[in-house]
Amino acid sequence: MEQIVFGIGITALTGALATIAGSAEDTESNIGSQGDPNSQVQLAPQMGFVHRIFNKAIAGEPPAYGLWCALGAGLAWAFMAMQVNAVLAIVIGCVLAVLVQGVYATTAYLGRTASLAKFGQPVYVDVLKSMTSVTMAHAFIAIFCTVTLCHLINGALGHPFPLPLLGLIWGIALGAAGSATGNPYYGKERQYQNQKFGAGVPISASGNIVRYAEAGERNSLDNGFFTHKIGGSASGVCFGLIVFLEIWRTILFEKVSAGWGAIVVGILMILIFTVIDRYIEVWARKNYGPYTEAKVAS
Amino acid sequence: MSVKIEVIQGGIPHQKIMIGGLVSTLVCLYLTYLNVLTNTEMFAFFGGLAMITALIWGSHTIKVLCSYGIGTGVPSAGMIAFGSGVIAMVLATKPVFGMAAPIVALVLAAVVGFILGYISNNILNMKIPAMVQALTEMAIVGALSLMGFAALMTGGFTFAGLTTGEVSMLGLTISSTENSFIGGALIAVAFLLGAIAIQHPFNATLGPGWKQDRMLMLTAECGFLSMIVAAFMSFAFISAGSAIISLIVAIIGWAYTYNQYICLSKRDAAAWLDAKPIPDMEGH
Amino acid sequence: MTAVAAKPQAGGAMNPTAMAVGVVMLLIILALCWFVSPGAGLMALVGVTIGGVLIGFGTHFVPVGGAPAAMGQAPGIATGVAMLAAGAGLAGLFGGAWAAEQGLVVATITGGVGGGLMMAITCMMVNFVYVFGMGIPAASGKVAKDPITGDTQTEYKSQGTEGHGLPFVSFVGGVTGGFLAGAGGTIIYLQLLTLYEATLPAVMSMRPEQVMPIAVAAAGIFAVGLFLVNAVLTAYNITGTIEGPHDPKFKRWPRSIVASAVASALCGFLAILIVAI
Repeated sequence: MEQIVFGIGITALTGALATIAGSAEDTESNIGSQGDPNSQVQLAPQMGFVHRIFNKAIAGEPPAYGLWCALGAGLAWAFMAMQVNAVLAIVIGCVLAVLVQGVYATTAYLGRTASLAKFGQPVYVDVLKSMTSVTMAHAFIAIFCTVTLCHLINGALGHPFPLPLLGLIWGIALGAAGSATGNPYYGKERQYQNQKFGAGVPISASGNIVRYAEAGERNSLDNGFFTHKIGGSASGVCFGLIVFLEIWRTILFEKVSAGWGAIVVGILMILIFTVIDRYIEVWARKNYGPYTEAKVAS
Repeated sequence: MSVKIEVIQGGIPHQKIMIGGLVSTLVCLYLTYLNVLTNTEMFAFFGGLAMITALIWGSHTIKVLCSYGIGTGVPSAGMIAFGSGVIAMVLATKPVFGMAAPIVALVLAAVVGFILGYISNNILNMKIPAMVQALTEMAIVGALSLMGFAALMTGGFTFAGLTTGEVSMLGLTISSTENSFIGGALIAVAFLLGAIAIQHPFNATLGPGWKQDRMLMLTAECGFLSMIVAAFMSFAFISAGSAIISLIVAIIGWAYTYNQYICLSKRDAAAWLDAKPIPDMEGH
Repeated sequence: MTAVAAKPQAGGAMNPTAMAVGVVMLLIILALCWFVSPGAGLMALVGVTIGGVLIGFGTHFVPVGGAPAAMGQAPGIATGVAMLAAGAGLAGLFGGAWAAEQGLVVATITGGVGGGLMMAITCMMVNFVYVFGMGIPAASGKVAKDPITGDTQTEYKSQGTEGHGLPFVSFVGGVTGGFLAGAGGTIIYLQLLTLYEATLPAVMSMRPEQVMPIAVAAAGIFAVGLFLVNAVLTAYNITGTIEGPHDPKFKRWPRSIVASAVASALCGFLAILIVAI
């Protein structure tokens, strides 16, 4: 019984850490403009729309976060193997991982912008100086929370995988969840804020991202502030639910009928989320209505 | 609308880079063998240099492949390179191959890469002229750079070296498999470090203004950066002195290449502005 | 701005000769494995091949829209297909590895459920953001009616786009893909783990409990590597984006089965040679 209570306590903690990590990850990728929405930041100068947005082209979010988290976890593991205290090891490991991330961010911005010289897109050194530290700070929160939850899973809950491998797995999962949930919000809602609300961006408007905004020329910090409210929170809830439910159903039900208990609970959860999704979809169709009249024939 | 990749020409031909990269990587890997001859771990940093030369070769291969527009992103090429290379590399470290481990890794990875290239081009109907050669080269680069990481972190490339380490308990040092390159899954970290470092240079410099020297300088910078963190991790396996040597070599190399990369970017950029507004372009 | 040569489009056509060559290669690898290590080795290789095929096939179900999806111009999830499938599958592998000592069947299904659960939550949150955050209903661009629910799609597509969000069939596709990928990855991990646990003590001259960390970590990293290889091959097969099982591109799946089988068998054979020679 004590074992289960201890397990539940750790699970709750990992769920909370995962929520923070998901939110920070999405905000960081929006401040730096990483992943699929970045194709618009790359395209805009080619269509004549020069801008002051940070162009951080470091692969997509899943492999990038897989690397930062695996790196943080690997460094933490190495320090712990040298008998350094666990908390200190994780902190130092994550700091070094974030330094690597910062350097990658600067080289990405310089490289992509220099290659767009033909279209007159300048390199803004002040953008480089101001955005890099902010994106590093958000990345640190995300990496630290992920490495800590991996350490808890390995140390307190007894998962067989060593810490760096767990860091890789949860880093890639973090990037996938945060990218899936947060990218459309940043791409459609904020980058194309001048398009009509409630509809996708028409293909003819590609590249025409918002460059002059509320107070002067838009920069990436404005984007981060805006997307954090909905996109960041949704990403946090998404990744938090993933981690929490996955561990919760294992801790509570893996002993029930030799493992089948956890499977049944998992399938029930999938069905519940399917129902919720279907409800959301039907709600939208009913309340928003179609864009055009439904075609009677065909 | 995705980023269109343009015809990219100029610079050193790919064949030269391939041969240069291959030869330097093998030479540096074998230089780590000096560790065995002199019974120290001081020459572990040659593993890092091997990894860097392999990455320089590999990033140029990715540029050649992706110039054809493969329809999906650049990062996947790096992933498939290292995914196929990691198994070949571990197999090549077996004691039965002895000192020929780098050559065996090269041959095995070439076979895997060739078959993967054949699958992609013919079964999956991608029909890209450079595909088979590119995937072969990338699998070799993956295997050899992982071997470089292993040599940098553990001082050698033998199976025993990768799977056993030492742990001190109550003052006694005992041999343990948990504290090793494979047992502690540091091979996973090396895997991702290499996979991101191989695709980042082309991914970050692609565009109409792509220049070969800028991309290759960026590869060297990414390589040295990976070497810095790998040197930190090597403190757990090799003696502090040898790890410090690797760290110093890596930091000096990184500082130089990073500085050069910034200078080259300044050379190529349209303008280098500090806190200036968006310039007026006609019509927008 | 054009690509280097006028490359013929990677069409959906099948290449029967190449498929036959692929099948022959698969048989050759199986035969080599039978020579080198009949019994445990061959069983592991068959398991790894099946796992790889499940990953490759499952990735076809996952709805991925790529860069246009990030602007609400195309349905699907706005991430790369290889990494999204890898993310879901690895979350499944995590669960499956935890259940490893409960037997092959239980662990595999646990891994599958883990992957399916991650995709269910992610797809639900994607629709949540589209509907409540951006005011955009889900609509498919490839079919006039959703095959599962019968909802009409064309009038819910905003002007100038190919559709957006995740219609119900894409959601179901995503969950199925996550389930298959998670199950496939877990099978690969378990087969390699059982093989290494049985043979590494003799190869390394150590006690079984001493080789456990090596067996677990090596099986884990090889599973991750095979994941990525199979997912990237599928990405090549569908040329980057797919709406789900209702997309016409889905019909290309036979090519992927052969491709994944050969690639997984080859890499699996190398993984088995580590303990067989």
